[in-house]
Parts: sequence; structure tokens; C-alpha cells
Amino acid sequence: MSDSSTTPTSPAAPPHARRVVVTGMGAICAVGNDVPAVWDAIKSGRSGIAPITRFDGTGYETTFAGEVKGFDPAATLGRKEHRRLDRYSQLAIVAAREAVAQAGIDIAADPTRVGVMIGSAMGGMETLEAGVETVVTQGPKRVSPFFMPMMLPNMASGNVAIDLGAKGPNFAAVSACASSAHAIGESLQMIRDGRADVIVAGGSEAPITRMGVAGFNAMGALSTRNDDPAGASRPFDAGRDGFVLAEGAAVIVMEELQHALDRGATILGEVRGYATTDDANHMVQPGPGGEGIARAMALALADAGLAPTDIQYINAHGTSTQLNEKLETEGLKKAFGDHAYQIPLSSTKSMTGHLLGTAGSLEAVITLCAMRDGILPPTINQVTPDPDCDLDCIPNVARAVQATVAMSNSMGFGGHNVSLIFGAASTVPTSR
Amino acid sequence: MHPSRETRATGGRVVVTGMGTISALGLDLPTTWAALIAGETGIAPITRFDATDFPTTFAAEVKGFDPTVLGRKEHRRMDRATQFAVVAAREAVAAAKLDPSQPPERIAVLVGTAMGGIETYSENVRLLLNQGPRRISPFAVPMAIPNMAPGCVAIDLGAKGPNFAIASSFTGGANAIVEGARLIADGRADVAIVGGTEAPICDIVSAGFAAMGALSDRNDDPQHAVKPFDLRRNGCVLGEGSAMLVLEDHDRATARGATILAEIAGMANTADAFHQVALPDDGEGLVRAMRLAVGKAGITPEDIGYINAHGTATEMNDRVEAAAIHTVFGARTPPVSSTKAATGHTLGAAGALEAVIAIEALRTGTLPPTRNHDNEDPGIALDVIPNISRPARIGAAMSNSMGFGGHNTVLIFTRPD
Repeated sequence: MSDSSTTPTSPAAPPHARRVVVTGMGAICAVGNDVPAVWDAIKSGRSGIAPITRFDGTGYETTFAGEVKGFDPAATLGRKEHRRLDRYSQLAIVAAREAVAQAGIDIAADPTRVGVMIGSAMGGMETLEAGVETVVTQGPKRVSPFFMPMMLPNMASGNVAIDLGAKGPNFAAVSACASSAHAIGESLQMIRDGRADVIVAGGSEAPITRMGVAGFNAMGALSTRNDDPAGASRPFDAGRDGFVLAEGAAVIVMEELQHALDRGATILGEVRGYATTDDANHMVQPGPGGEGIARAMALALADAGLAPTDIQYINAHGTSTQLNEKLETEGLKKAFGDHAYQIPLSSTKSMTGHLLGTAGSLEAVITLCAMRDGILPPTINQVTPDPDCDLDCIPNVARAVQATVAMSNSMGFGGHNVSLIFGAASTVPTSR
Repeated sequence: MHPSRETRATGGRVVVTGMGTISALGLDLPTTWAALIAGETGIAPITRFDATDFPTTFAAEVKGFDPTVLGRKEHRRMDRATQFAVVAAREAVAAAKLDPSQPPERIAVLVGTAMGGIETYSENVRLLLNQGPRRISPFAVPMAIPNMAPGCVAIDLGAKGPNFAIASSFTGGANAIVEGARLIADGRADVAIVGGTEAPICDIVSAGFAAMGALSDRNDDPQHAVKPFDLRRNGCVLGEGSAMLVLEDHDRATARGATILAEIAGMANTADAFHQVALPDDGEGLVRAMRLAVGKAGITPEDIGYINAHGTATEMNDRVEAAAIHTVFGARTPPVSSTKAATGHTLGAAGALEAVIAIEALRTGTLPPTRNHDNEDPGIALDVIPNISRPARIGAAMSNSMGFGGHNTVLIFTRPD
């Protein structure tokens, strides 16, 4: 696909007239309830995986997950209001508020130019299951009038817009485990195209429900290492036996560069490139040879005007399933050639678990923190190397490396592939 | 593979070269359109589940659909919503007569859906409640997730370009058209297969909408229950189906000798940021979307010859939408119809189905009627093309969509010449 030795290095002029920077970040997940806490855990290699408390997991093949801890929705969102929001909407609002507060942006000053795009793989699962249970046990006339608006997968996007007063373009990108990566990528295109100046973009998911666990167990997709929850998510390790279901939200404020400079915003990084492809191969299995994700990586590099050798860190999809990492590794080699061996990469799902639709945006936040602090996060739980996964996955311990260009990859059931490229704040001009 | 094309933006003119539908009015577009302009309705008593104890016992179901056309084994692994999308996409692609040499990496698929495989999901929850967690099908999750409609369309057609689902409740199908047109204009794809799909006629969705008071409960007269813009309107009815369109760059379509059905002249997507399900009285977000779309089309409101309204037949929707249309069009409002009295409210498919209808109106010079219109509502004061379709040669047609969550999407189509 590409021979890095003959590819020209990055051109001086960026390939897009409207550059897009990140001015705020928010996250809530199993390892922390805000970005500072999340990043502290990730760079320290701490797992957030523990036994399930959200429902009685007795009788389930898997009894652990990556739950958000110590989150009080009534205190944060209001005693009455939080009851009208599925957990996935609650988490989205929390992360969006953190991101917007950090960005210090006055949305009311120009609300129609501020969009919201919160991706989700599943939407309000807990609400849906409770609704079905009500129909079964009490009959159809006992279903709540809030059932429908709480359950729909677009409502995190809608509720964040209501909470922030953002009146620009708004929808939820839905592509299973690539949803929030799509949300960020499509937001990049929207801002480049001039359809908005600012987009609050990310993902939210609250899948730790009876049906969520039973459904993925039925597919054989989840780790069943019930005696060692913190050691269960081991992407790239030979002993990996499935992913760990997790919940949370991650949101970034994406802003046109000049717009950010004009208001004196602190720039946290740049979204430099995006591409998306589809395998068109199988409902749940990635395409042979990692062709689709390799194509996404090559197209994202072209979109950013970068060469493969420019990439200094990759946050991998790395779910901890046998098939994913085998094919993802093949895809990385296809996209980067021998240079793949020179690029440190990690799967932070080893600590956070797999947040499904949130994974792409959480990993975007982690990638931006890594470049800000010059620390590449590890892939924890590396015990037994897998000869099929022989790239440098930063095993077990974070590494001090100042990367300025990094890639984040996401793949989803349905054959969706997304590759995003981020730049460090140091590579963004401070005036124009 | 053509990485270098990724940033090759086109002249920006995007056209429709193929369309397919499956709805309560018919299993393909010709049947659906003929029934629509004949003033027929697809609304009838529910057969998909036992609705005896439900507040509303009728819906707009697709009739006579044989899913085995998708393959004896394959159709069992697709939720009904995905089945509809694949069928409609096949019709649209066949109509577009795509060049066999078209690189599959440059074909995008975007499908809007409000809730994806809700029937599969709710059936499996029921199974879990009754028989425990270990009886769930391995296909439950893949069949239920909303992105499997574009995923399976891509597998069926071998389309390897950009691919995702759009959830924005009832504007999803319209948003897929907007984003597909943008993919083409940005040079990110040569062909975009876009639209919407929904299969919501199951117990939990019916119960959920009824709990909100959103559904008509005229159970004694299903065919005349849904009365958009009528003084006696009392709610919408669930409908199912899919509509898919093939979008291409104008110059490329012309160069390959494709039949151009319409041009997407204007489009916009806004948010109310007002309330989860209620609309602001002045329809501010819809007003803004209509104005943005008209501006993008480079025309004036007077150029719009027909509006296919969102027109759900709820008290609030029709009142607010009419107010918004009056605000944008002033004294000269064009003819407006809601075809939901015929098709039912197909939720995430509605925006795409009604885009196809607006294009057929433009192409054929026949404006479809608003069925069941008996009592003028002085608060509406629009020409709603009551009951009987009307010949009218028009140059531009608008389609409005609005959804829970405060989404508004407006599309404007013009004749290709």
C-alpha cells in the first residue's frame, strides 16, 4: 500500500483551508470521572475493570465490566432532570460540560454556528430493557411517556444541544464501535466545509445491562476471565480471550483554527486527518488481511497531507479479541510497511475496557493527552507475546516520548473502519 | 484504491440517479407512487403483533413482502429494518444503472434510522426475561444495532466507501441524503447510496408512542384516522419501510450518460436546543433550516412549487410547522401536503421516503394529496392539496423533516435541466 521510504514528507502548507483544532476535552469512564483523573490512571497503567454492580450478574458467563464509579446523576444533573435521561445521555452531558468549560466558549454568543454530534452504538439500552419488562409484566399501558425520548440513540446528541444551547448541525453517527470516531471525523469535514465553526463531538455508551452482557456473551465476544477482572483485557497478548464491556462518554470541542485564535482559546491539539472505509465483507468479522482499516489509514494520511513516517504513535482499536488484533496488525503492516515496527502503539482498552460507541472519542482524548505530556500510554496485561501481533505495543509501562503526530483507529461490527490523525498543540500556529 | 482522490472536491452539484422504496403502499417505487397519487392509504389493523390491549390497534405495515428474496439463510440474520433497506437499495441501484467499472471503494452507504433493529432487540429482551441470559441468539446484537442497515447494504452491493448510520430520530433519512450529498461534493465518494429505514411496528414502540399521546386512537376507522393539518387531527400512526437514493456528482453522472432524476439544490440541518420532544411555537429551528436550504439553493422562496411537509398529524407538529412555513414564505405559501396519511410515519425512513415523493412530484408534474382532509383548521391556513392529487409543473420541491431531540432537516430538489 505504501512505501514509506519513497513517500514525500509532510508538505509545508496544510491541505485544507480551514484547519480544525481541539479546545476542550471531557471524559467519564471506568478509570476516572474527568479528563485529569482518566489520564492519570491511563499513564499509570491502572485498570478500571471490576465485578459488575449495575445489575445482578449471577448466571451470566461474564461477571465483570468497566463501570463508571462514584457518579451521582441526581447531584450533577438535577433530581428531576436526571430521571428523564437514560444513563448514556447523563454521561454525555457530563463529558460535554467538562469539555465546554475547558474550552471557555460562549455558545450563546453565536449558537447557530455550534453543532453537536454524539455517536452511540446502542443508545438507551437500560431504558429499552426496562420498557420491554414493563410491557411484559404490567402491560402496554404502563409504559412511561419518557420511554421513547430516553431510549432513542440520537438523544444524547439532542440532550447535549439542549443543555448547551447549541443550535447548529446535530445528529448521532452510529457505526457500532466506530461511532464516535465517525462523529469526530464528520465534524472535521463539517467545519472544513464551513457548515459550523464549533462542534461538540464525541460518543456516549451505557451498555452494562443484562441484555448488553448476555448479547455479547452469546457471540463469544467477551472475556470470561471472571477470576481476574483487572487482568482480563489484554489486547495483543496471546492469552486474550475477548473484550471487556465498558461504559462512559468522551467529548471534545472542535473549533476552526482562526475562530479559536480570535477568542484567545488555549489550543490542545489539532484534528489533522480523517478517513472512513467499509469492509463490505461480513456482519461482524473484519475483512481479510485488515484491508479495510489499512485503506482507512492510507486515506487519512492523504487527507492530512502526511507520510506514513510522520506518525509517531498509534492508539489502536485493540479490543482484546483474537481476531481483531490479528487483522489489525496485518492492516497496520499493510498501511505502514516495515515502518510499522518503528511506531509505538497501544490499546488503552486494556485499562478502560471497550466503551463501544465511545471508544473512538475516548481514545482521541487519550491521544491528545499523550502528545500534550510527552507520555505514550501502555498496553497493560502483557504476559505472553503473540507472534501474530509482533508490533511494539508499549507493554505494561508508559513511555516518555514526545510525539507530535498520532493516529487513532476504530473498527466496528458492520465492517466500519475509521482512522483519525491528531497533531500536538505545538504544531499549531498561535497567530495567523 | 485511490487515496489521491480523497480530497478531490467536485463542482459541488449533486444529483439523484436512482431511487427505490418499500412502504405500506407498495413493494417498490412505481407501486408506491401510483397508490399515493390515487389517494390510497396503507394504514390498516396491526398484524405484526397482537395489539388487542394496545391504545392504538392500527399501523401502516408493508404487505406481501417475502424476505427470502434476500436469501434463505441471509434474511434470517437481518432485522426487518435491515431487510427493507437492502431491498430499497437494490431497486435504487438497479434504476441508476451504475457503471460496472465503478470502483467499490468509492461507493458510500449512509442510512438513517431512528431505532435500528428494535424488534430483534425487544424479542431478545423478552427471551432473557423468560429464559435467562444464556438463551440469547448470537445474532441478537448484530441484528439489533442501527448501523447494520448500512453495513448489510454495503455487503449486498459490495460498497467499500464511507459507511455509517445516522440517528436523528425522524430526520435520519433526510440527514443521510444531506451527508451523502456532502460526501460527493467533497470528493470523498463517487456514488452515495443514501436513505432511511425503519421497522417499528412492535409492541414496545407502539406502547411507547401511545404513552406520549402521539398516536391517533381512532381504532374504529384506521383508513381515516390520520388527518394531517386537519382540525380534527389527533396523532400519527406508525409506519414501516425504506427509501434509498443513488447520489452522484452532476458532471460524472452526465458523462456516463445516467438519467438524472433531480438535483439536490439545497439542504440544511439545524437543532432547536429547546426540548426533548416539544417544539418551540414559532418553529425557529425549522424556519432557520428552510431559510438556509433556500439560500444554499441560490433561489428565493417563491421558486418553491411544492412542500412535502413533515405533517405528522399531531396537534403540535402541524401547528408549528404551518407557522414556520408562513414565516418563511409570507403571503405566498406554496401547495403543501403531508403524505403520512398514506404511508404512516415511517420515523427514520420518513425523510428519505418523502424526498423520493418530492422528486417524483417534480418529475411527473403531479402533487400528491393530503388524505383525510375534511375540516379546515384556521390555525393552519395552508393549501394542503386536500384529498385529490393535483397536476402542477414545478421547478423546485422542498421536503421538511423534524424529530425528537430537536432536529430539523430541509432538502430542496430541482429539475435537472
